[in-house]
Amino acid sequence: MDKKVPRSNIIETEIPMGTVHPAALEPYRVRFFVEDEIVQEAEITIGVNHRGIERIMEGLPVEKANALTEKICGICSNAHIWNSCRTAELGLGIEIPERALYIRVIMSELERLHSHFLYLAHGCEVLSHETFSMRVFYLREIVMELLAMIGGNRVQYGCSVLGGVRPRCDLNEAKLLRLKNDMDKIEEGLTGFVERFLADSIVMSRITGIGVLPQKQAIELAVTGPTLRATGVARDLRTTMFEYDDFDFNVITQPDGDVKSNLVMRALESFEAIKIIRQAIANIPEGKIVNRDWEMFDTDINESYIEVPRGTLYHSYALESGRVRHCIIRTPSMANIGAMQYACIGDQITDAQLCIVQCDPCFTCTDRAIEIIRR
Amino acid sequence: MGLKSFSRARAIHVMLVYTGGCNGCDIEIVNSILSPRFDAEQYNVFLTWNPREADVLVVTGPVTHLNRKPLEAIYEAIPNPKLVVAAGSCALMGGVYKNCYGDIPSEEIEGPVENIIPVNAKVPGCAVRPQDVLAGVVSLLPTLLDAD
Amino acid sequence: MLENILTNPIIAVVLTVLVCFVISTLLPGIERKYIHARIQQRIGPIVIAPGIMAPIKFMFKENVNISSPVPKLYKALPILCFIVVLCILIALTPQAYKIPALSSLVAIVGFLKVEEICYVLMGALSKSVMSVRMPFPDRIKGAVHIKSNRSFVEDISARRSLRMITYGSFPLYLALFAPITAARSVFLQDIVTYQQLNGPFLFTVAGGIAAVVFFIGYMIILNEYPFSIIKAKSDVIEGPYMEYAAKYRAVVVLTRGFFMFVLGAVFSVLFIGVPPTILSWGIVLNIIVALIFVVLMGIFSAFAPVFTNRQLLPSILGATLLGILAVVIGLL
Repeated sequence: MDKKVPRSNIIETEIPMGTVHPAALEPYRVRFFVEDEIVQEAEITIGVNHRGIERIMEGLPVEKANALTEKICGICSNAHIWNSCRTAELGLGIEIPERALYIRVIMSELERLHSHFLYLAHGCEVLSHETFSMRVFYLREIVMELLAMIGGNRVQYGCSVLGGVRPRCDLNEAKLLRLKNDMDKIEEGLTGFVERFLADSIVMSRITGIGVLPQKQAIELAVTGPTLRATGVARDLRTTMFEYDDFDFNVITQPDGDVKSNLVMRALESFEAIKIIRQAIANIPEGKIVNRDWEMFDTDINESYIEVPRGTLYHSYALESGRVRHCIIRTPSMANIGAMQYACIGDQITDAQLCIVQCDPCFTCTDRAIEIIRR
Repeated sequence: MGLKSFSRARAIHVMLVYTGGCNGCDIEIVNSILSPRFDAEQYNVFLTWNPREADVLVVTGPVTHLNRKPLEAIYEAIPNPKLVVAAGSCALMGGVYKNCYGDIPSEEIEGPVENIIPVNAKVPGCAVRPQDVLAGVVSLLPTLLDAD
Repeated sequence: MLENILTNPIIAVVLTVLVCFVISTLLPGIERKYIHARIQQRIGPIVIAPGIMAPIKFMFKENVNISSPVPKLYKALPILCFIVVLCILIALTPQAYKIPALSSLVAIVGFLKVEEICYVLMGALSKSVMSVRMPFPDRIKGAVHIKSNRSFVEDISARRSLRMITYGSFPLYLALFAPITAARSVFLQDIVTYQQLNGPFLFTVAGGIAAVVFFIGYMIILNEYPFSIIKAKSDVIEGPYMEYAAKYRAVVVLTRGFFMFVLGAVFSVLFIGVPPTILSWGIVLNIIVALIFVVLMGIFSAFAPVFTNRQLLPSILGATLLGILAVVIGLL
């Protein structure tokens, strides 16, 4: 595939959309430069959501700061608190009980399910296919109830704490059984949906070959997560994370990098997530869920990378007398903005929002002060 | 009940404006309207994205600096009678972001929503539950029905 | 006494229009509640909500200053649309056959063209807050283009409506002209009498194909999914109707339901030969045809995403070829 080059010289007209727009569930501004309804260049302006959460975290006790990281994002809230705890745990060398690790993995995979279902539903909504969107939202509701069952809230569960998980989030027999049964229900529903979706020739003609992101370009733009895997690069941080050592799962890739690849990618990854949760339910060890036996000391800057539903999440901070210093957070959508702008080029303006949505944007996480260092 | 109140009770158009929250409330609200599970349409609440059509404006988020003017513009565009529902702790009181600089006034957060546009109903929660959002919108009915 | 009143043609036409109008207000609700909501496995709104209660509610809203370069013309357009639809219905009634200029297919096509041109004007005149007018500092240092022509989302919609006039409405017009091949006359009276003598045109080969083409054209001219590109939610939000508020929006909503009914009536006149009039039981057939069309359209629109230009052109081309086939078969 040839490289798509943004044409900057003659631009017929500019169409700005946002900050409030039906196709975007979040506030962001996007300017499309179009010629005869074909997008020649796109510019996404972020910063609309900037609230400065690192600044709030600075100087807070590490436990409080962990709880605060959850408010970065309402979709992958568990990932943020998990990674923030993980940063401190790696720095302080805290041993985490096996059972707590399993519960964290279950939460993380449930969150992946809910994020991917949201993606599928939102994608169908932007395609203006209300029926499919409703069907996925119906499936997603099962996941939300499971998350509410474990975490006590539908969004922002506060599952991880330093050294393990919150006592509220412990799983007893009844909860495990319900989890197991609901996994069957979700798998059945999702299989039905995916079969129906792939058999729909109108939808397929609408999404095949739209918003193509070639593999070479994706690597050049430093795209992460499922958006990268949809271009054929098998890169998943879960394969390197010690939490996932006990689990057997496949890294899904798709060849084309278009909207269809991305949607199918999310659906197939949801099946893998169901697989991981089933393994976790079957093998969950007995024992403590939190390790209180650790000491606080000053550390240098600690870093932690994890794979969240949308890509690679990075947290880093130093600890000074139990307080957070020099906090840096980089969310996956930050890396994918380039891909979003790139994917729009050469497509109809009707598809342009779809091309942005295919990269799974989460602009509320993304808005932070950044410095791009070009090398 | 006159024809005015009768018709208003049977067609409520809701518009959503996100002003920089964490996405949690936004998705729960979309969930309450789009998912067949909660299905706001059975209470004759319709989702619209056109301010000229809306009756009720649901605002989430602590209103960041860049979102202030769009929010005002959209509020202006809605024809009277119009009502505002602030959903979620951020919209109600700024949430965790409000006092992020202590005593120094924050440049980023303009909220809560009350500072910018008049608010008629407040739906608490972090994040709000879909049931609460529906209850909040429906609780506005008496005000909406009696409006001129 | 009663017979005298009913035989007065003007009163009969007024009564027919009133009955049709009242029934037409139920159509959007039927589509939403019994088709869309049923397919999406939810309860859905009450039947009267989208078609009747929403317009009445809009009537009671306060009027706002519309943001448009020519506000008066912009406000007049939905009323013009409504009058056009009304004229089509009047032209279909048997009482109008005495005025040959009105009750001919040429007049109906002309009225439909006016309707389409209204969309172009509406789109071009609407300047909504949702795109360019949204106060946001995006032409700042660091932006890719500081100086560029900016256009409102409605402008794209206007351009698309123009494109729809050029090729999008072919299927409907071809289907409208198909019955002429059988009746050999453009006057509705002749078409109706021909069908009353020789049986409905619908049950001939040409008629069957033309009916399918008519249905596609019906969805295109009503801008229903999947042909709703001029008001696609993913980019132009509501397209031409963006700026209508209060009373004018009420007229827009009412016109849509009325237009659904009137197109159904057009079908029953041209393909079955039953004109809508309060004086005969034939009006029940008109209502049933309108309902069938709405139900079919609801099913199709619930299972289709919006078409972009890429899909629109081939599908319209296909429908046009079918329409030509129907006309050719009819001529042979």
